[in-house]
Amino acid sequence: MVVYIVRRLIAAVLLLFVVTAITFLIFFGVPKLGGATPDDLASRYVGKTASGQQIHETAERLGFTDPLYEQYGRFIKGIFVGAEYDTGVNKDHCPAPCLGYSFITRNPVLPDLLDRLPVTLSLASGAAVLWVLGGVATGVVSALKRGSFFDRASMSVALAGVSLPIFFTGLLSLSIFSYALGWTPPGGTNPVEQDNPFDWAAALILPWITLALLYAAQYARLTRAGMLETMEEDFIRTARAKGLRERTVVVKHGLRSALTPILTIFGLDLGLLLGGAILTETTYSLPGIGQYAVLAITNQDLPKVLGVTLVGAFFIIMANLVVDLLYAVVDPRVRTA
Amino acid sequence: MRKTRVTAVAAGAALALALSACGSGGNDDGDGGSTSTPAFNAAVGHVYNPSDTKGGTLKMANDSDWDSLDGGDMYYGYAWNFSRLYLRSLVTFKSAPGKEANELVPDLAESLGESSSDAKTWTYKLRKGLKYEDGTPITSKDVKYAVARSLDKDILVNGPTYFSDFLDLQGYAGPYKDKDLTMANFKAVDTPDDQTIVFHLKKPFAGFDYLAMLPATAPVPPEKDTGTKYKEHVVASGPYMFKTNELGKSFTLVRNEYYDAKTDPDTGRKALPDEIDVDLNVNQADIDKRLLANDLDVAVSALGVTAETRAQVVNDPNLKQYADSSPQPRTWFTAMNADVAPFDNEHCRKAVMYAADKEGYLRAYGGKNGGEIATNMMPTMIPGFREIDLYEAKSKPNGDLDKAKDELKQCGKPDGFSTNISYRAERDAEKATAEALQQSLDKIGIKTELKPYPQSDYGKLYAGNVDYSKNNGLGLKIYGWGADWNDGFGFLSQIVDSRVIRPAGNTNFGVKDPKIDQMLDDALSELDESKRNKIWGDIDEQLMKDAYYLPGVWASTLFYRPERLTNVFISDAYNTYDYTTLGVQK
Amino acid sequence: MTPPLETTESTAEVPPEVTLAGASRKAIEGRSLSQIAWLRLKRDKVAIAGGIVVIFLILVAILAPLIVKLIGHPPNEFHYDQVDPDTSLPYGSWGGISWDFPFGVEPINGRDLFSRTVYGAQVSLLIAFLATLLSVIIGVVMGVIAGYFGGWVDAVISRLMDIFLAFPILLFALALVGAMPNEVAGLNGYWLRVSIIVFVIGFFNWPYIGRIVRGQTLSLREREFVDAARSLGARSPYILAKELLPNLVAPILVYSTLLIPTNILFEAALSFLGVGVPPPTASWGGMLYQATKWYTVDPEFMFPSGLAIFVTVLAFNLFGDGLRDALDPRGRR
Repeated sequence: MVVYIVRRLIAAVLLLFVVTAITFLIFFGVPKLGGATPDDLASRYVGKTASGQQIHETAERLGFTDPLYEQYGRFIKGIFVGAEYDTGVNKDHCPAPCLGYSFITRNPVLPDLLDRLPVTLSLASGAAVLWVLGGVATGVVSALKRGSFFDRASMSVALAGVSLPIFFTGLLSLSIFSYALGWTPPGGTNPVEQDNPFDWAAALILPWITLALLYAAQYARLTRAGMLETMEEDFIRTARAKGLRERTVVVKHGLRSALTPILTIFGLDLGLLLGGAILTETTYSLPGIGQYAVLAITNQDLPKVLGVTLVGAFFIIMANLVVDLLYAVVDPRVRTA
Repeated sequence: MRKTRVTAVAAGAALALALSACGSGGNDDGDGGSTSTPAFNAAVGHVYNPSDTKGGTLKMANDSDWDSLDGGDMYYGYAWNFSRLYLRSLVTFKSAPGKEANELVPDLAESLGESSSDAKTWTYKLRKGLKYEDGTPITSKDVKYAVARSLDKDILVNGPTYFSDFLDLQGYAGPYKDKDLTMANFKAVDTPDDQTIVFHLKKPFAGFDYLAMLPATAPVPPEKDTGTKYKEHVVASGPYMFKTNELGKSFTLVRNEYYDAKTDPDTGRKALPDEIDVDLNVNQADIDKRLLANDLDVAVSALGVTAETRAQVVNDPNLKQYADSSPQPRTWFTAMNADVAPFDNEHCRKAVMYAADKEGYLRAYGGKNGGEIATNMMPTMIPGFREIDLYEAKSKPNGDLDKAKDELKQCGKPDGFSTNISYRAERDAEKATAEALQQSLDKIGIKTELKPYPQSDYGKLYAGNVDYSKNNGLGLKIYGWGADWNDGFGFLSQIVDSRVIRPAGNTNFGVKDPKIDQMLDDALSELDESKRNKIWGDIDEQLMKDAYYLPGVWASTLFYRPERLTNVFISDAYNTYDYTTLGVQK
Repeated sequence: MTPPLETTESTAEVPPEVTLAGASRKAIEGRSLSQIAWLRLKRDKVAIAGGIVVIFLILVAILAPLIVKLIGHPPNEFHYDQVDPDTSLPYGSWGGISWDFPFGVEPINGRDLFSRTVYGAQVSLLIAFLATLLSVIIGVVMGVIAGYFGGWVDAVISRLMDIFLAFPILLFALALVGAMPNEVAGLNGYWLRVSIIVFVIGFFNWPYIGRIVRGQTLSLREREFVDAARSLGARSPYILAKELLPNLVAPILVYSTLLIPTNILFEAALSFLGVGVPPPTASWGGMLYQATKWYTVDPEFMFPSGLAIFVTVLAFNLFGDGLRDALDPRGRR
């Protein structure tokens, strides 16, 4: 068991390295494909009146003239021991783990990300609770009442939820509930800066619901399919034959089995979401990691984009790891794979 | 030494505009009147909802972010307007409605600059009792330091370059390169004592007070200067100081205890609210909706309401009474890049001038609420303006296709040609303009492709970058320009002088006419105001003959003024609400 | 227990005739499997309805130029006479709907929403189909190789899949579009942007199909008929082609049908974030994004694109679901 855990951990770390390498390669290598020289890259960070010589000096100071693998090496080293960046006025220290340094805002990237993480976390976790509870509950009831009006209606609503772009439902719900009715605070309200949990939830309730709608559909369908399959299994028949109450049969035996695949998918979905719910945050102007990513891309601030991609990949890989480990706990056969 | 009072009193055009704007509802006095009845344009030329009540929190939001809050690192009108809340420069524009706003009045200085007879030496005396937010006194050396650091465009990249252009620097490149905080090598500026500062220019400039107005002259204590990081906590000399500053998210201003209103008798600042909250990077649609819901007081970036909100406001009398439409010294235009063939041939350029659909241009900016069709480049309220319509913009607003085809023949492209149109991606109006131009030029065979670019890098990396524009065939570049201050130089210099063209970061997208350069020099050394104003008009005429710029719209912007704002008026200097006088009702 | 998603495409119960190797066995199996599936599909009215809509949409997308020539105005043509110059709103109620403009017109410029929606179908479906095709091709190739050869080949490919799954796709698409130079490999403008979008969606989505295919291949590999074929002297590629691929058709088909609506929504999301197809080309995502801004004064603007996306995605989902259920041997619905 321990061996399994260790092996998976090592694999996860290696994966992270590979992902960082590829990301680095793409973001710093693709412009080269288009014929961008180090001077072109540096011209982004100099003043309007900079001469060719000054641009070249800046390119050297920022390390753009070094070969890619050297730049990458420095980046990796920065993650472990931190790095120093010459801003032209003084040396700015980027403490370990240094996920990059933005030359546009002259600040290390990681503190910004950590600062915005609570918003994204609030958004993701609240929505996750809603979609898991809502989706699974709906799926169970639909499976049990297969063919009924509830079943058909809920599956249709689920399908509808999946078929509409989230920015559409989001902007509409803002228009109606925030601006027309005034029930919820307006877009741009920072939930984490509210004074009490009630205001925090009020600022997040619309994003939670619109986001959850998207996932609840999938979860409802999955749970329904899983339940339908599980309820036909022999061990369910046995449980019933033993005289157990129907509710125990359904929940303790049926649901537990049906849930394992849900767990896998949940882990992956949550991991993806933690990396920045870009669309939701942009729609509601929530100052989380997703909005940060969009702003960074609009401003062509590559180190920030790199930082966010890494954080996103980190969460995905971690989520995968956790799910795998949980699987190993639940199903011993997996450990020998 | 002769005192030279430089005032930019708007000529008949602006006066007429101010008077006509007062027409609807409320007080019918000329400018300077006031009213408290909501009405369309109630804040144009009058003070709407006058008040002296202090207190409350003023809530503002920005659809993007400041380039920098550092006075030496900003080039947007709204940023300059807002900076007067926490900074004081040597002189500033008067906070008053109507044409008075174009008057410069002393702020830190006791009076406007004293000029030598050749207008190459300018002296200012600071008032007594000026203090920073921590109580330390402000001295003339701090002003000198502020100007010195603003010279370094590698560190403070965004501000204008007027000081570099006019001061007799003799090679001085700022304290970051020079590394001497005593600025011994900065001979262009003298500080004989703590109250006096003297500027030495390399060429005469009668309008130097305009440079003294720039936020770059707001004092910076050298020990507290952290270069590129200074913007994270700018030391305040004005009525407010920074309490919090969360980069990219929001910041808060609170009262500066050491600001003494008695040292500020001339500017008209009111400093009514106790606190000012500013949210950054909020969706434009959200900003508009919050304004309309009275949940927000000011959309600080002063772009005006979006097209969708404008449609809503203009159609609903209950909303329209809270709106103000302010004509500005700003022209939306499209530049033609002579580096990209066939725009090097003036007949091809003239073909575009004739063919472009001017009505379409105006519609892209919202019809009569967005301004009026521009026949030439200089906006109507700049002294020296005269209407010059060489391409029948008024008589044939949808373009004259026959004359256009004729010009095409003359430049050797009778069947048209292909080129690219660039515009700033975030600006819906520019996208609409690009599409309109595409359609109208298609009629004479000019096929175009649209290329949006991010606004923040438009000047540095794309349209304003000479090599990029050439290599990517950017023949038509959509842009707009508002005067840095309300005179011909403030409008024209940065967009028509060929000598300001650099490899990157341009605002002059390709006007290279030595005749125009000469006329600019003539105007600067012409001390007679009316003769000088005539020269601006002449430059405009030459510009139209050269056909480098297709003028589109003389801008008006529609602003919304929520109910709880007090003391609201459009400042003719900043062409939006004057931020230093606003208050909030409880 | 493996997730239900992956079990529903397991192969049909193999009748006893399976021990016969070669073409005859395949003929029997082929007939029974696809025929059974088809019968089941026909009975599922909802899925058929979805299928009909799908076919209709594909036809619309292909015939867009013809349709617009007959009924509508050119999609990028301005019609100022339809729009008020000062409010930028369409004249008339319902967003400017009239016989001449059945879906109304766009604010500011008066473009015909009917033709823009029809052309938008072309763009959205083209991108979705191409991206799906790319995913499927890569996924099938990689999955089959991994599943068939096993061992270290499988290990490497599985790790590759993990890597690709670890990338946040939307972020990547956004950033890549931004970092792309103006001309690559002779493509620029509209086609370059379309290629990048197709590339990113297709290239990063292949592991989903790859995994399924790998699983299928793994289980099929152990089946007796493959051994039987081999014992008759058939070489590996022959086995792959003849035995495995037909059995993979079902899961590939189902997954493609379900991947297309995801890709349509993805393109819409990219337009929302400003990196969809460049203007003035009409795309449903771009139109919807513009329209949501005009909601308070011109709500009708939202309907053509919003409904188009909704109906398309719904139709593909319903049809895909029906297809999956039809191919599921346990006949569950």
